[in-house]
Amino acid sequence: MIIGLAYDILRTEEKLLIDAAKRLGHSVKPIFVPKRIEWLNNTYNEEFRELGFVLERCVSHYRALSSAVILEGRGVPVVNPYRVIRDCGDKLVTTTILASKGIPVPKTVVVYNRDKAIEAARELGYPVVVKPILGSWGRFIARATNEDDLLDILDFRESMNSPHFKIHYIQQYIEKPDRDIRAFYVWGRVPVAIYRYSKRWKTNTALGGKAVKADLSEEQIELVIKSAEAVGGGVLGVDLMETKNGENLVGELNAVIEFRNTVQVTGYDLAGDVVKSTVEVFKK
Amino acid sequence: MQIENRSGEPVVPKLKCPVCEGSVDIPDDALEGELFEHQECGAQLELVIENGQLVLKLAEEVAEDWGE
Ligand SMILES: Nc1ncnc2c1ncn2[C@@H]1O[C@H](COP(=O)(O)OP(=O)(O)OP(=O)(O)O)[C@@H](O)[C@H]1O
Ligand SMILES: [Zn+2]
Repeated sequence: MIIGLAYDILRTEEKLLIDAAKRLGHSVKPIFVPKRIEWLNNTYNEEFRELGFVLERCVSHYRALSSAVILEGRGVPVVNPYRVIRDCGDKLVTTTILASKGIPVPKTVVVYNRDKAIEAARELGYPVVVKPILGSWGRFIARATNEDDLLDILDFRESMNSPHFKIHYIQQYIEKPDRDIRAFYVWGRVPVAIYRYSKRWKTNTALGGKAVKADLSEEQIELVIKSAEAVGGGVLGVDLMETKNGENLVGELNAVIEFRNTVQVTGYDLAGDVVKSTVEVFKK
Repeated sequence: MQIENRSGEPVVPKLKCPVCEGSVDIPDDALEGELFEHQECGAQLELVIENGQLVLKLAEEVAEDWGE
């Protein structure tokens, strides 16, 4: 099969996927998104006719969204599809969808100005976590242990130019162990997961969190599957937080997965799994 | 346009670092958009094609919408 790979920056993950595809006897058509000229009137496109599917790998969320919707408009299956990328790319949307399906998520409130933020946080109880609805790697995620902290964070957010910073997504702070869980969902299965250990409350590996192989319980696996299916499945990263009383809460979903650390510490060939099982799904 | 070959074609030449002007080794199976850290000066560089020529430029800065 010929597999398209839409990307903007070629990272370790993209190289692993390309190598896996070749190893499995497929060929890869790299689609370097920043240099494309896309005529939206051309819904039929000879260039993409031969592709079995495209792996959407843009690191920029808006480039991922744009290139996915354009490719889909031309009849090429994209993994993950535009709608899934959109639903996972915005934390407000993700949490809304998960909560509406009865999936356990931290208590979360959305407000549009500082007065309402203060009011809502009082009801939520401190500490609270404030997150940008767009963004990743723990950037601009802040914890307020009291109202003063929260006011500082709100000042900062209200002075940012991007309109999305004026939508305040405020969440109950979860007292978790010194780790959280990143599980990978691949077409109905959860083949591999890691703990992300850190002394900091933000455990992102981009911030120095240490990845360690995790063996999930039946219950956790079920929760990962349910969460991924809530947005339409495909290939996803699902973050879980363990609470003190043994519950698991879903933190967020990721539609353009980063997995170099997972491969490194588990030895699991996740790139090979993604390619192999996606080929199974789209082979005619 | 991409750099075609994983085999066969001649090796991509050493390219010049736009920061320190030192030379940077690029493997012959490199693709446009690939990142390289220049060991000598520490610059994050991105391989691009300009007017049919492979060149290195300073990698794009992390933007608000980057990530998973
Ligand atoms: N409500 C919360 N209580 C305690 N810890 C939290 C809470 N929300 C997030 N965290 C922790 O903060 C870190 C960043 O959270 P999250 O994954 O939501 O952000 P992100 O920037 O989208 O990260 P990425 O997409 O790279 O995984 C994680 O380590 C997570 O465990
Ligand atoms: Zn240099």
